[in-house]
Amino acid sequence: MIENVPALLIVLPILVATLPLLVGLRYERVGWTVAALTTTAAFAMALWLALVIFTTGEAVIHQLGGFPRPIGIELVADRLSAPFVVLATGISMGVLAYTRRGGPRGNSFYSAYLLLLGGLLGLSLTGDVFNMFVFLEITGLTTYALIAKGKSGESAIAALKYLIIGTVGASMYLIGVGFLFVATGTLNMIDLATAIPQQAGYGNPLILTAFAFVFVGFAIKIALFPLHTWQPDAYQRAPDGATPLIAALVSTVSAYALFRLVYTVFTVEFLVSIPHASEIVVTVGSISVLAGSALAVMQRRVKRMLAYSSVSQFGLVVLAYGLMNDTALLGALVHLIGHAIMKGGLFLAVGTIAAGTGARTVKEYAGLAKRMPFMAGSLAVLGLALVGVPPSIGFLGKWFIAVGAIEAGIWPVAVVVLLSTMLTLGYIARLLERMYFTPAPTRGGAPEGSLATDGSGNDPTPGAVSAGMLGVTVLAALLAVALGFSGGAFDSLLGPFIEVILNG
Amino acid sequence: MVDVASIRPLAAVLVSFLAAGAIVASHRYPNVRDSWSVIAALTKFGIVASMLPGVMDGTVYVWSLGTFVPGVEFALRADPLGMLFALLASFLWIFTAFYATGYMRGLDEPNQTRFFAAFAMSLSTALGIAFAQNLVTIFVFYELLSVSTYPLVAHDEDAEARIAGRKYLAYTFFGGGVLVLAGTVLVFQLAGTVDFAAGGIPALAEAAGADPWFARLAFGLLVTGFGVKAALMPIHSWLADAMVAPTPVSGLLHAVAVVKSGAFGISRVILDVYGPDLAADLGVHIPLAIVAAFTLTAASIIALRKDHLKRRLAYSTTAQLSYIVLGLSMLHPYAILGGLFHIPAHAFGKLTLFFCAGAIHVETHTDYISEMAGIGKRMPFTMAAFTIGAAGMAGIPLIAGFVSKYYMLIGGLGAGGIGVIGAEGATMSPLMGTIFSGSLIVSGLLNIAYFWPIVYTAYFESENDHDAKPLLEFPMGGKPESYGVSVGRLTDGGKRIEDPEHETGYAVDRFPSDHAGADADDHEHEHDDHHGGGPPAEGWERRRPWAESTWLMLVPIGLIATGAIVLGVVPGQAVFFDLAVYIVETVTGVVVP
Repeated sequence: MIENVPALLIVLPILVATLPLLVGLRYERVGWTVAALTTTAAFAMALWLALVIFTTGEAVIHQLGGFPRPIGIELVADRLSAPFVVLATGISMGVLAYTRRGGPRGNSFYSAYLLLLGGLLGLSLTGDVFNMFVFLEITGLTTYALIAKGKSGESAIAALKYLIIGTVGASMYLIGVGFLFVATGTLNMIDLATAIPQQAGYGNPLILTAFAFVFVGFAIKIALFPLHTWQPDAYQRAPDGATPLIAALVSTVSAYALFRLVYTVFTVEFLVSIPHASEIVVTVGSISVLAGSALAVMQRRVKRMLAYSSVSQFGLVVLAYGLMNDTALLGALVHLIGHAIMKGGLFLAVGTIAAGTGARTVKEYAGLAKRMPFMAGSLAVLGLALVGVPPSIGFLGKWFIAVGAIEAGIWPVAVVVLLSTMLTLGYIARLLERMYFTPAPTRGGAPEGSLATDGSGNDPTPGAVSAGMLGVTVLAALLAVALGFSGGAFDSLLGPFIEVILNG
Repeated sequence: MVDVASIRPLAAVLVSFLAAGAIVASHRYPNVRDSWSVIAALTKFGIVASMLPGVMDGTVYVWSLGTFVPGVEFALRADPLGMLFALLASFLWIFTAFYATGYMRGLDEPNQTRFFAAFAMSLSTALGIAFAQNLVTIFVFYELLSVSTYPLVAHDEDAEARIAGRKYLAYTFFGGGVLVLAGTVLVFQLAGTVDFAAGGIPALAEAAGADPWFARLAFGLLVTGFGVKAALMPIHSWLADAMVAPTPVSGLLHAVAVVKSGAFGISRVILDVYGPDLAADLGVHIPLAIVAAFTLTAASIIALRKDHLKRRLAYSTTAQLSYIVLGLSMLHPYAILGGLFHIPAHAFGKLTLFFCAGAIHVETHTDYISEMAGIGKRMPFTMAAFTIGAAGMAGIPLIAGFVSKYYMLIGGLGAGGIGVIGAEGATMSPLMGTIFSGSLIVSGLLNIAYFWPIVYTAYFESENDHDAKPLLEFPMGGKPESYGVSVGRLTDGGKRIEDPEHETGYAVDRFPSDHAGADADDHEHEHDDHHGGGPPAEGWERRRPWAESTWLMLVPIGLIATGAIVLGVVPGQAVFFDLAVYIVETVTGVVVP
């Protein structure tokens, strides 16, 4: 039974994605219910799958159609993919609590939403590099659709921009896969790991080219500087209900896929044997940390600021990929998971605040602590967690990466990792100061969109903010803090896997 | 020492954390809300004090959550050094809780709920720092302390407070999130553990033998990181700016809990991470002592020129904290004892001074020393307490500050190998020992030079007949012409005349908006923050000591000033000295008589 769960996890959301449109012909608002039921079921299955994997310590492998490895396609749920499957289903469920009232409404949104979930789960579970391309495209296409659900013309432009740049990225990945196939004759990840050194050798130009294409392709999808240009527009212009999903999951799962490819397919021996391979990865990540933060500090709009913050945080993750020691890799994975929770929560808070008060720029956040104390508080907690104030998941990730950087002895990188605290503080502190220590403007300067006629117009608009929207944001903040005590747990869950990929 | 598992260290930390929640929850009822602070303070002190007999008998209370990050536990441990800081912070919070209520209500400040909640949180984290069992745990609380004191610094919500808050965040996060974290990671990497051990982590000593430069780098990072909060130069300037905070904050946090957490962190690093022996072997103590000696001299000189009372106190704090750091960094048992005892000695004295400054501000809205001529008539009791505190800062015998400075001087000479007491424990050249001891004496003189004029002007001058203080207000080296005629104001009927000295003072030091309304005569009932200071037009009203302010402020001032005397007259009877002796014994093995 358990070996069918990986397939079910992918097939269920994709098949059900047709239902909101079909049933929607008769019942107008069925989309949310369908999505909620499906996501809950998927979350339950993901938990079960994770439980089985972590208790038995064995990977769960599903052979699609019963065809064995060289010919058939495998779905692999192991210690690495299980946390991401739980994360993807869990965050999707949380975002649903927001979208019920916060929108975007309409059955087509929920169809795209379920397709996206299916694509993300596919990316997390697939054991085949070509199959990964298929899921990458499913994820990409549905993301374009979700961004375009925004009401303004800019949303359409942002979606188009992402469509073009994202497709270039996916195509580069496909070219890389092509080279791999030419060099080795197989597409299965586990086979590739042995076939690359045996049949081609690490120094083979085909393999080197494949690595370059795969890395650049995913750098686009992850939005590393300077290939990030689609991302701020996409995050900012997407509907408030879709941004948390995109920001928390799409880049995260792409980064997971890159990790999978680098360490399962190319393996650490490849990185070690190719001169400058790991240095390039580390450098790209470091530059992304610095540039992303610098760009974030300059933004006036909160969503855009947080978008650039993602550029910086993913830089930290990719930087850790290149450090090639167990502490740094653990840090990368913890920070990936932590960043998804924190950034998802931040965008949920931003969406809720926009719904309640219409505030969208840093300036308009003045005095927010009095108007929406819980949202301001959640934003503050999540922001400080992102800075790396302990105890929080943000600190854990940073601790592991910092220890790893010093263990690796690459001093400039260690400095970048440690300084990232200050860089993140640079843009988070602006928000804190605005929300808590800048009095709200009086009537004349009231934020646009609020009806400030009698001085009470800045209160949350009744009805626009639901308990679900508030609850899920507060939950994200609490989770970010509570997971700060899970350092030992992460180490025992993910440590053995990292041990295997590093030492064979 | 025997380790005993106990929930009490955690309880001591959590009490005020829970109180912060209760304070926010009861924000509609000010009396209920403010009583939470008092209840939490008393409970907290009770819990800490309940551990004291055990700790003095060699018991160490330990509470552990288990693994925090692999290889490091999240654990609290009430050892003697931690008890010294915890006892001090929780004891003084009791008085500050009363005083803060009086102060905040006296000024009718906004956002009192946030203020008291953040205050309680800060105390929680301060105790966490005191009881932290390893560098990672101390880092956790050190960062949380930065976060929870930020709302207190930026409390006023005006541009000045926001800028001070920004500076505060930038400095403390750079110190904590970057430098302390980096140092912690390095120590973890070198030694494989970050647990404190009295006299130094053995594994670190081995690693330092193999690679001394990494150990030195880690020491530098840690000490600089903690030095930010201890306001070592050149990373001190946040402290003076943070004086925009309400006075209870300046008092308890920026003279006791926050800045002492920095000094305490340095003492942990020197005594329990590296240990005096390893620090001496690495030679890292000399640069630190030089920085501390420079800071205490330079800060004292800067303090001379500050007309704003709280800013002068802030620079005095900067100097006094460096006494502690200097005492510790001389690595001599006597000097360490002096440095450790200076933690409570300075706390009692400086808290008295800040409370007095706050009381003056609440009652008369006077912030500038040049406007305090004759204020002894209006606030006789407050100024008497102020005199005691000031004498303690200068190290006058019979006040707490003397005892600590006495031991530091002996230790300084002993560290240089001079004289007969403890000269066998020399850690530096005689020249260095002399310079460091000399800097203590010079700074003591400077203390008198900047505190005495305040006392003098308050008691022995009157509002319409007071001189400029040559050392403080004139260019260094004096004025080229005779100043008796140009400055000594003559009056024409008792009315105060704005003299030119004051006009320039305004232009440099204060906001134009504060200038207006200096002649209002209802100071006691005036709640406007932007009210000007200085004496009313008809001169200071003469008040009796018990009628000069509310008992919520006078009683704490009196008790703490008494405490400063008790510590100075019978240090052996006050528990802090015994604790400090005990710590020195566990760390160095030397029993100081």
